[in-house]
Amino acid sequence: MGKSALITGITGQDGSYLAELLLEKGYRVHGLVRRSSSFSTGRIDHLYKDIHENPGLLLHYGDLTDGQALTNLVLSLEPDEIYNLGAQSHVRVSFDQPVYTLMTDGVGALNVLEAARILHQKKQVRVYQASSSEMYGAVLETPQSETTPFNPQSPYACAKVYAYFQTVNYRRSYGLFACNGILFNHESPRRGETFVTRKITRAATRIKLGLQKKLFLGNLDAKRDWGFAKDYVEAMWMMLQHNEADDFVIATGETYSIRDFLELVFSKLDLDWQKYVEIDPRYFRPAEVELLLGNPSKAQRLLGWRSKTSVDKLAQIMVEHDLELAKREKHNQSFTS
Amino acid sequence: MRAVITGITGQDGSYLSEFLLARGYEVHGIVRRSSTLQRPRLDEYVNDQTLYGKRLFLHYSDLTDTTSLRRILSRIQPDEFYHLAGQSHVGLSFEIPESTCELTAMGTLRILEILRDIKPAPRFLHASSREIFGTPTISPQNEDTPVNPNSPYGAAKAFANQLVKVYRDSMGLFACNAICYNHESPRRSENFVTRKISIAAAGIKLGIRKELVLGSIDAVRDWGCATEFVDAMWRILQQPEPRDYILATGRTHTVREFMQYAFEHVGLNWVEHVRFDQKFQRPIEPENLRGDAARAHRELGWTPKISLRELAAMMVDHDLERLKRTA
Repeated sequence: MGKSALITGITGQDGSYLAELLLEKGYRVHGLVRRSSSFSTGRIDHLYKDIHENPGLLLHYGDLTDGQALTNLVLSLEPDEIYNLGAQSHVRVSFDQPVYTLMTDGVGALNVLEAARILHQKKQVRVYQASSSEMYGAVLETPQSETTPFNPQSPYACAKVYAYFQTVNYRRSYGLFACNGILFNHESPRRGETFVTRKITRAATRIKLGLQKKLFLGNLDAKRDWGFAKDYVEAMWMMLQHNEADDFVIATGETYSIRDFLELVFSKLDLDWQKYVEIDPRYFRPAEVELLLGNPSKAQRLLGWRSKTSVDKLAQIMVEHDLELAKREKHNQSFTS
Repeated sequence: MRAVITGITGQDGSYLSEFLLARGYEVHGIVRRSSTLQRPRLDEYVNDQTLYGKRLFLHYSDLTDTTSLRRILSRIQPDEFYHLAGQSHVGLSFEIPESTCELTAMGTLRILEILRDIKPAPRFLHASSREIFGTPTISPQNEDTPVNPNSPYGAAKAFANQLVKVYRDSMGLFACNAICYNHESPRRSENFVTRKISIAAAGIKLGIRKELVLGSIDAVRDWGCATEFVDAMWRILQQPEPRDYILATGRTHTVREFMQYAFEHVGLNWVEHVRFDQKFQRPIEPENLRGDAARAHRELGWTPKISLRELAAMMVDHDLERLKRTA
């Protein structure tokens, strides 16, 4: 029998790519979804359609803050691997909702570890915790590696640091195979539309087709290490196949400013970004993380993983995808009017 | 007038915002953060630049997050507060009882606690549910019928319903329960039985699907139309005194009848297309559910007019239109 995995956050960008990868590898994939009166499965609908031929993917209602329902689910599914990707993942929003963010990203991760710890008494289970480069915050050294101390700058990052240390703690205290993937920014056409890269590619393509006039952004000088989400979920899987549980930085090792990304995207569409972009202070974070640059050499050395997609290629992929979306939107407009 | 709506992305929340915006209200909705920006019921209003950011606002929060709710409320200072959010699926509440209780029962208590400190407190409407009656021995049910829930959802709603009374009587809040019987619409969630049926009837008509799988079709419900229910919710908060009201049509139908109306509307015979599966049956099926909305009729001047046949037709037409567009 093939392996089985439980993915929290399966409806998100990484969850959907990871589900695809694991299904390709013959896993039986279980996903945890929050109940909502509007369906939130847009990113995995294409995987779910084949349920009658290939029941590889199953969704279960639950919530990271509901520890008992989560434990019951883990004990009934007995997955070989658990990927905890579910979170309130928006840094700016975490300043408005610090308590909810900690409950979901911090205590939620603890609930996953507790469930795994109980299952661990019966069978081997491996846990992946989605840690984040945001944990480095006001960075104490550049580039950042697995040994760089954390210095979080947002409620989101504080919660992620908590989850990080609990993951390490469960590995040391209970011998649980639990890994932190410290992922630097990773984008894709499935990135949420309130994140800056996707906001830019959506806006640029809509501007190109005359569907939008302006793009409002916050700080253009923040520098990020941007990779392609599809490459990064592969690293998650590799960590859990490694012979020893460990923590890994996953990054490209290159950094670009938001301004650079704007330039890349707009020039692909033969547009001059300066004509369309306006600064709105609403989008400034109360405390900004100025420069993130990861050193992925440990993952290269031990896992044989490296980022395959350049930021230029990434921008290209996102622009192509969003241009299609914009065309469809334009078509629908002519249809409804 | 300024109103806050929890559950604004849901069926009732979206119709209520429409209703209030049309009456000149400034509407503030509370939404949960999600990585998907899918709020299909609100798209039309959020994309309307003359409304969004001017008279319609969305705020991120969560019924479990007291501090952010408090901050939002003290900033907005609303005149009216419509609390419609909750884990609203009864069947699912047997699978996720703890989070259902957390959101539906505790979530309501948290809001009442915040309102208690706000001066002047907004008028508060809680969308309660006929599920608080469970399987009633008295039919029809009115505002004095004893609560006797038989699902985790019903138990959570009963708790919230009773707390609303407590805060009205002991803290002097203008707080009311709208005890709603089933109310459907083209915006009903796709995993509720009426909508499942309307989507299936439309899909089968268009030849893009073959069958519909259901649990019990003999279940009896008192079904109204959501657009009429949100009108009543608003009327409740315009009364001189706060009171609880049953909102219901007073007529009952079986799932079978609804199915018949829906399939007949597109010239199909449901018997040829429906299969049964135990999986969709509830652990306990409520019986004798019929609401007596005499008080709402008398005091609010509210009388639901849309028949079940009209409702079924409205829903099937909507799904036909939608499926044609995406096909």
